[in-house]
Amino acid sequence: MSADHTRDPCPIVVLSDFGGAFAMGVIGGCVWHGIKGFRNSPYGERVTGALSVVKTRAPVVGGNFGVWGGLFSAFDCSVKAVRKREDAWNAVIAGFFTGGALAIRGGWRHTRNSAITCACLLGCFEGVGVLMQKVMAQPQQNIYGDAPMSA
Amino acid sequence: MSWIFGGSKTPEQKEKEDAVALKEKLGFDPSQVADVGTILNSPGVLSSASLHPLSGLEKGIEYMDLEDEQLTTVEGAQGLIPSRNWTDDLCYGTGAVYLLGLGVGGAYGFQEGVRNLPPNATPKLQLNTILNHITKRGPFLGNSAGVLALTYNLIDSSLDAIRGKHDDVNSVGAGALAGALFKSSAGLKPMFYSTAMMAGGAAAWCGIKAVLQQQQKQQLQQHEQPLQ
Repeated sequence: MSADHTRDPCPIVVLSDFGGAFAMGVIGGCVWHGIKGFRNSPYGERVTGALSVVKTRAPVVGGNFGVWGGLFSAFDCSVKAVRKREDAWNAVIAGFFTGGALAIRGGWRHTRNSAITCACLLGCFEGVGVLMQKVMAQPQQNIYGDAPMSA
Repeated sequence: MSWIFGGSKTPEQKEKEDAVALKEKLGFDPSQVADVGTILNSPGVLSSASLHPLSGLEKGIEYMDLEDEQLTTVEGAQGLIPSRNWTDDLCYGTGAVYLLGLGVGGAYGFQEGVRNLPPNATPKLQLNTILNHITKRGPFLGNSAGVLALTYNLIDSSLDAIRGKHDDVNSVGAGALAGALFKSSAGLKPMFYSTAMMAGGAAAWCGIKAVLQQQQKQQLQQHEQPLQ
């Protein structure tokens, strides 16, 4: 698999992923909690209610996204450095460690279950990615035709 | 950013640049080609030097010269690390400030937890107390700092695109606007304080950046001198 040139080299890409995931989370959280706060507020206070919910909740969503994305990226880089290869398993292993690290305060069982769930989720993503790549790729055509009189 | 606000180049200028770039890439001028014969008969086309798979290495990367990979061309926007466009600035700026806030808040929570340890607590309880304080302070400061940085970077990039260049006035103005927006619902006085603090912070960052860039330049010059 060739290197991905749209992404930055490894140690510094962690910073970018932190910021990107955080920004995604904040913007998504604004939309999500804006709508939720608007619907859950009484008539006459809908806009103020939406605003106050966005102010308190959107940064938290952003933070959660950011920590997840940043940790994942850091683990991804570490796994790449240890394995010295780039394939779909990197993401699965990094997902395993990320899920485990985020749940480590909940006890051994919680850590284990969370790590396995996260690895499975990332495995699904990678699997779908590989499938999409195969579907999108141009079908191989035999441009030379069959070899004439091969007998 | 030209995809939102339109580039500042005139169409003729852009056309000319495109033609030159295309000629460099293809090795011939497509506007002068009428049919295949002209291509084949033009001098140098069929020479082994240009047809060899490894020819043209001295021209640098060609196949991988994608649009996305070009560094930013906004005047004065060349920062400490190479940046392709405003999303790079946004991601790196937000990520760095968020991590900084998380670290500072975590350190503050750590010393707070150490000071508030209950007397004769078990090691497990001690660890939990400290971790609780860290996770209380760290994410709060990190989230606020991250949101501020996100707003600042969005406004900064927008100002760059509108003005067509980047300078310290942009940064300080974006900082002031971000600070004002951050505390816009808390009343006039907090808004004023946060505006002043963010403008000051942006100005300080501009100063640090200028010093660091100066050092980078000096180091580059020192590396280049022995070669001559």
